[in-house]
Amino acid sequence: MKRHLTIVGVYFVLIIIGIPWYWDKNSTLLIAGLPAWFVVAIVVSICTSIFTAYLLLRFPWNTDTGSDED
Amino acid sequence: MKTSQVFDQTAWIFISIYLGSLILVGFLGYRARQENTLKDFYLAGSGFGLVVIFLTLYATQYSGNTLFGYSGKAYRMGYAWIMCIHFMTAIVACFLIYAPRLYARAKKYNYITPTDYLQHRFNSNWINILATLILVIVLSNYLLAQLMAMGRAMQGLSSSDPDIAYRQGVILLTLIMVVYGTLGGIRAVAWTDVIQGVVLMIGFSLLLFMLYKHFGPLSVATNIIQQSADAAKVTVPDANRLREWLSYIIIIGLGSTLYPQAIQRIYAARSEKILRQGLALMAFAPLFTSLIAVVTGIYAIAYIPGLEGNESDQVLGIILSMVQQNSILGYWLVVILYAAILAAMMSTADSALLSISSMLSKDIYGRFVDSNASEAKLTFLGKLFSWCLILFLVWLAIYLSDKASLIKLLDRKFDILIQLVPAFMLSIHWRGMQAMPTFIGIVFGVFLSLCLAYGGFDFVHNGKVYGFHPGLIGLLFNLAIVVMGSNLINKNRPLLV
Repeated sequence: MKRHLTIVGVYFVLIIIGIPWYWDKNSTLLIAGLPAWFVVAIVVSICTSIFTAYLLLRFPWNTDTGSDED
Repeated sequence: MKTSQVFDQTAWIFISIYLGSLILVGFLGYRARQENTLKDFYLAGSGFGLVVIFLTLYATQYSGNTLFGYSGKAYRMGYAWIMCIHFMTAIVACFLIYAPRLYARAKKYNYITPTDYLQHRFNSNWINILATLILVIVLSNYLLAQLMAMGRAMQGLSSSDPDIAYRQGVILLTLIMVVYGTLGGIRAVAWTDVIQGVVLMIGFSLLLFMLYKHFGPLSVATNIIQQSADAAKVTVPDANRLREWLSYIIIIGLGSTLYPQAIQRIYAARSEKILRQGLALMAFAPLFTSLIAVVTGIYAIAYIPGLEGNESDQVLGIILSMVQQNSILGYWLVVILYAAILAAMMSTADSALLSISSMLSKDIYGRFVDSNASEAKLTFLGKLFSWCLILFLVWLAIYLSDKASLIKLLDRKFDILIQLVPAFMLSIHWRGMQAMPTFIGIVFGVFLSLCLAYGGFDFVHNGKVYGFHPGLIGLLFNLAIVVMGSNLINKNRPLLV
């Protein structure tokens, strides 16, 4: 349960950082010639992909359906 | 502005060989069948390995819309359409909610169709019929969009009359697709997905290379846009757009995992390890697919400004024709890219068609018309339904070709599809969830979503409620009905006994 909450928490933080709600509307900050908020959104997407792949590769699925019996 | 690519005979031979190879793969799929059963036809018997699972997930997920639609949307919306890589990544993350348990149950109870799970979990014909109806309608809409995209792609390729080229494209490409699908079932579809997935990945990589070679770095394009009348497309999005961003992540993340073809690929994996590895690779797909489509749109804002309405959906075609005229290398890169575009459309359409046919034959005919029908008969009927449905959709695609407003009416698929989230994702974790509130929740959720979308309310702008899709509002009420209703029934159950 604790692991599930941690996973949900990480995704929540990634969404919070990825959506550029906290940038000044008139921000002209550039990174490598591109809008900074745009670059941050891409970096967050890369982090999300890595985190999702980590979850998929690190933790085998429990394929026991014993408790699901109807 | 010139939007069509004039290909010479050699290029047409290349594209014809590519299309012909798909039918050959269909025949090989037919030869490889082990038995004439539903499981063999729709899930390939013992299932697929990693390469096939990844490429079939990839080719099915990324459609013609990814190339044409996303580049056009980025052109209209600007840099904010980068949100598409977030929601495409969210799809893989959302699989984590229910794929592990669904996979385990599918292997144990031999599920073929998505509603096999619902029937087994709720034992309710009402939920089964309602879910099948929603899935078939949503998927038919999706399939229709792919057929129309095939016609448009052929318009861009051919130098003949646009109307004739559109019809030829829809009929010819659909015919090839339905022939290999009927021959080899999921094997043919997944194996052709392997070819199509590889062509698609090569095509996207080439597109990025061509854009850089032709236009230079993206930073230069950004600078040009900032100095132009489109400067607002570079700025931080406004509050409404940010809410829309969040809304897209939730609705497409959750909704796309419920596409029947996606669910059937969960069933079709040979082992949970292979499925996990395939999904892990898929987590990176938006970075080398959707992101490139967005970059294409941004280059178009800078170098071909001023396109309006439907013309803006043609930015990819215009950019390709600019690149094509540049050199022999550019010409051949465009030929390969066009093969990739056709691949994207056909691989998405064939999977949708196969899923619909499985639901019509097994969930409707096999359950309610003739429950004693043999597997061979159901498989045959599935193929028959495919042909009947595709005939109707081809006619519809041709009829709707110049009726854009009618097509918009059909475009609420995620608002409807997402109402099945509690039935699939909550029920698999909560044993106390009951059938009656689940059914009522779906009906109310769909009804509310459609009312909000088409009711003409003042607070609904561009089909969204303060930036949020109406389907999400429907889903909130749907969930409330399911949770409160199930708790009420569970609380009263001991008294009934």
